[in-house]
Amino acid sequence: MSPVVTVTDLTKRYGGVTALDGVSFSLAENRIYGLLGRNGAGKTTLMQILTAQNFATSGDVAVFGQHPYENERVLSRISFIKESQTYPSALRVHHVLRAASLVHPCWDEELAQQLVDDFRLPPRRNVRKLSRGMLSSLGIIVGLASRAPLTFFDEPYLGLDAVARQIFYDRLLADYTEHPRTIVLSTHLIDEVSDLIEHVLLIDRGRLLLDVEAEALRGQVLTVAGPVAAVDEFTRTGAELHRVLLGGAARATVRGDFGPTDHDRARALGLTLEASSLQDTVVRLTTATNGAAPATVGATSKEAVR
Amino acid sequence: MNRALTVARLQFVAWPLVVGWPWGILASSFLINLAIFASIGDADPEPTTGGLASIYIVMFIACVNVIIQEFPFAMGLGMSRRSFYLGSLLHFVGQAIVYAGVLHLLSVVEKATGGWGLDLTFFGLPFLLVENPVLRYLAFAIPFLLLGFLGFAIALVFKRWGINGMLTLSTAAFVGIGGLAALTTWRGWWPAIGGWFADQSGGALLVGWPALLALPLAAVSYLIIRRATP
Amino acid sequence: MEDGRPLFLQIAELLENSILDGTLAEEGQVPSTNELAAFHRINPATAAKGVNKLVDDGTLYKKRGIGMFVSSGARAKLRGRRRDEFARQYVQPLLTEARKLGIDPAELKHMIDTWEETR
Repeated sequence: MSPVVTVTDLTKRYGGVTALDGVSFSLAENRIYGLLGRNGAGKTTLMQILTAQNFATSGDVAVFGQHPYENERVLSRISFIKESQTYPSALRVHHVLRAASLVHPCWDEELAQQLVDDFRLPPRRNVRKLSRGMLSSLGIIVGLASRAPLTFFDEPYLGLDAVARQIFYDRLLADYTEHPRTIVLSTHLIDEVSDLIEHVLLIDRGRLLLDVEAEALRGQVLTVAGPVAAVDEFTRTGAELHRVLLGGAARATVRGDFGPTDHDRARALGLTLEASSLQDTVVRLTTATNGAAPATVGATSKEAVR
Repeated sequence: MNRALTVARLQFVAWPLVVGWPWGILASSFLINLAIFASIGDADPEPTTGGLASIYIVMFIACVNVIIQEFPFAMGLGMSRRSFYLGSLLHFVGQAIVYAGVLHLLSVVEKATGGWGLDLTFFGLPFLLVENPVLRYLAFAIPFLLLGFLGFAIALVFKRWGINGMLTLSTAAFVGIGGLAALTTWRGWWPAIGGWFADQSGGALLVGWPALLALPLAAVSYLIIRRATP
Repeated sequence: MEDGRPLFLQIAELLENSILDGTLAEEGQVPSTNELAAFHRINPATAAKGVNKLVDDGTLYKKRGIGMFVSSGARAKLRGRRRDEFARQYVQPLLTEARKLGIDPAELKHMIDTWEETR
């Protein structure tokens, strides 16, 4: 199956600032991707280039096999929901939904109305008078009801409370199950989406640090604590990302292809062991002091998946 | 082309406002003029107002708005720049054609009712002496296009190059026009220029020259939007 | 779902637990992967992977067009396998901890024998 998106050595510079630096990856059909990274990492720029809203400095992108720039066949199959989306000030909520329904060939009006109820969005209210959370809900409704074969959600939940975010995750999952499509979820609330995403793309300072199955990442980063000698012994089997020392004791975060036998080994060494969440893993990888280390770790993780 | 039609419809989803603003402003301008000239009586035997300009100004602002507000929205919904431009053009030219027709009709009614019983010239174009109905219609329509494309072009300069682009553009315009005016004064060309304008027919001033200016503006707008980001 | 272990393993284990405690009867139908995904709020592909693991080891079987069912004999087989794991999962750490505290095996055995009574 040919990939939905192929990015090859993509670089974007704004003046002297490098927003994307030689990024390459591809997205397969009908999967949910997590595009993770800190604010300013280059996530939004990447999605803007993939949707032809911005221009690459160098490198190549292909979406549904073609370049997206001025390409109706490609653009009509994409929905890009971004936190910074603005609406013409004359429009009311129902106008925005009507406009989106004109544009997206697979639009599901029934779903849109259902979601308006779920999110308690006042359909006749002017977009200027919506709260931040309501604007986010409006974007989410457009993104879900458009049923576009390639849907980007860029930090879609700003201002949404926990209940509304849970509604979003549940509806996303339910609709994705019934109507599989490729979804890219860009977020820094990693713990909330870690069970939804199938594949992780981690960007930091414009570089792709991780391109790996979420399941493969799970349990790959462990924190062990105990006597220094025992910690040294254990960490030899993985890449150490972080270490804290206290007297003769150490606490180390290690990345490796760990399994149940490694857990037994840690216990046998008298170490306490704690598996990192996806969020912790990402934090560790993006704050690792040695800039080169995470990239190589990313490479080994890809091997581990194969 | 289908996507361009979609863009045109997109800009019409809140149509009562799209139509309401230009005609609302024009109607209030007309009513105020009517009230004023009805109350002051015969002070001015054949009053001519400039109130008709209001609808052209509103349409100019609407075109600026299309670029500032509708462009990011349409791009966000996955429109290409080409479709957006063609659709906006359709949307705007369509309005210009219809609005010019209505204005032409109103000017005919104005004439038939003896200037609404007050000898008032609100919709009529007094300095357009040509009685050719096609030319009269075009004299209503073409200025819409000139102002519309001017609005597109100026807003696009802002959209693509930001505030620096606007400053550069206005500086260039200021220096250019100022320089020409100074040159004209220095060489004593004003009478010649005045004479040139006087020699132009109403048709040339309201139809010919605006059409000639609108076309390059439309072309330049298209070139700018092709590399603009929302 | 808890962190640290692949989700599909957790899903497989949850289904095994339901089979062991009889919630899912042998020859009974198993929830679909979509139902599992929605219930646990996880990606359907992950849920499918967990179910497929149990299909591969013969715990579940597929009826084309209908769904997944528990194989007959699955419960006894699972119990056997879990018994093997029990030693590794519970007895080994128990002994390690006991050794650390200086509890000898005889004393440990006595503690186990009298545990129910002392409670």
